[in-house]
Amino acid sequence: MQVPLTANHQSLRNHRLDGVLDWAQMLSGVGLILFMWAHMLLVGSVLLSPGIMNGIADFFESSGMAQVGGPLIFLLFLGHFVLAARKIPFRLEGQKTILEQAKLLHHQDTWLWVVQATTAMVILIMGAIHMWAVLSDLPIVALKCAETLQKNSGWLLFYLVLAPLVHVHLGIGLYRIAVKWGFVGRAGRKGLKRFVNLLILVSVGISVLTLFRFWFMTV
Amino acid sequence: MGRLLKFNIFRYNPQDPESTPHMESFVLEETDSMTLFIVLNRIREEQDPSLQFDFCCRAGICGSCGMVINGRPGLACHTKTKDLPEEITLLPLPVFQLVGDLSVDTGSWFRELYDTVESWIHTKKQFDPNAPEERMEDAVAESIYELDRCIECGCCVAACGTARMRPDFLGAAGINKVGRFLIDPRDERTEQDYYEIIGNDMGIFGCMGLLACEDVCPKHMPLQDQLGFLRRKMGITALKNFFRK
Repeated sequence: MQVPLTANHQSLRNHRLDGVLDWAQMLSGVGLILFMWAHMLLVGSVLLSPGIMNGIADFFESSGMAQVGGPLIFLLFLGHFVLAARKIPFRLEGQKTILEQAKLLHHQDTWLWVVQATTAMVILIMGAIHMWAVLSDLPIVALKCAETLQKNSGWLLFYLVLAPLVHVHLGIGLYRIAVKWGFVGRAGRKGLKRFVNLLILVSVGISVLTLFRFWFMTV
Repeated sequence: MGRLLKFNIFRYNPQDPESTPHMESFVLEETDSMTLFIVLNRIREEQDPSLQFDFCCRAGICGSCGMVINGRPGLACHTKTKDLPEEITLLPLPVFQLVGDLSVDTGSWFRELYDTVESWIHTKKQFDPNAPEERMEDAVAESIYELDRCIECGCCVAACGTARMRPDFLGAAGINKVGRFLIDPRDERTEQDYYEIIGNDMGIFGCMGLLACEDVCPKHMPLQDQLGFLRRKMGITALKNFFRK
């Protein structure tokens, strides 16, 4: 009779970091999702009145939160990229494999992952440009934002691309965290998808409206 | 007269140096309650006796006839032609070693998997053949049975984007297998023992949550829930180990 091995000796504690990195990937993602929603609402407050937006921006700047928090968010952003990049194929061979797989299966969630990974690369570059542009030119004032967009329509185009990509990436990320960690089970998956779709639509809607508010603001 | 169905079938015999991978078409008239199992047998009997594919039970139990049917991994014996369009493409399951045409070697893959996850009850108790079997709560027995329904057809592995990219990934079938022993009261392995097996990127933390496994499983195994449960369980173990350092 074969003697089973594992149960007969004291098990050693496993120090591999894969699990901790998985937590870090998830938590940094959740942190960025929360930050982005807050960011969207704070900037979107210009829809109510430029004065409200200026007031909020002034609070964050005068308390030093923008100056300290901004670079910290940038670090979180880079950290999340490094953590999530562990799963993204950077070699052509791997990229071809996952694309072939998505095409072959006609499977929505596999495609969503391709979209998530692709948007991540674009957001990494455009998000870094955005953060540099804003944080190196404080204070944030509604009129200044409007002037920047109106003087150079390239910036409008830039944000019209970046904002939807961010919210699509956020939505898919939220869905993925919920199903991957089992926070939403088999029974709730369809409902979650509907909720996330709605969330993406509303978020993109608010962001685009905010951009056009700046575009049409009298400077 | 039934529909005329066109089957595009992958053909390649790795044993034959003359053979090159290509697609070959066969046309067959659809009959009542026709399954792909019937189709493949008729093609082999009536049109090309060299066509290779696997089958055994023709009832969705043995898991031999897994193949990619119009892009989706599934069982040939479970798939009715009436649910498919007139043109049907059949490919062998990816990930596994190709035997020939639609036949792949899932056996060796699963054999290696059993060795990796140590797919047997680990106990220090000596087996007494004369003693009555140990009793178990009905609910526990049922949950074990639910996870034991896996027929190891390989469809979940073939549908998994992670398994396609990383050959060492255990796949839903492997991770589910660990989950099955984890809830078995007869298995004396500890949380750390299970963590040793699946608490890494080869196991549960490698899963990217694409859920194709859940969507293609012909036995409708609760894979999404199982993967989520194990990720949380192993995630907590990972934190315990990290902070106890």
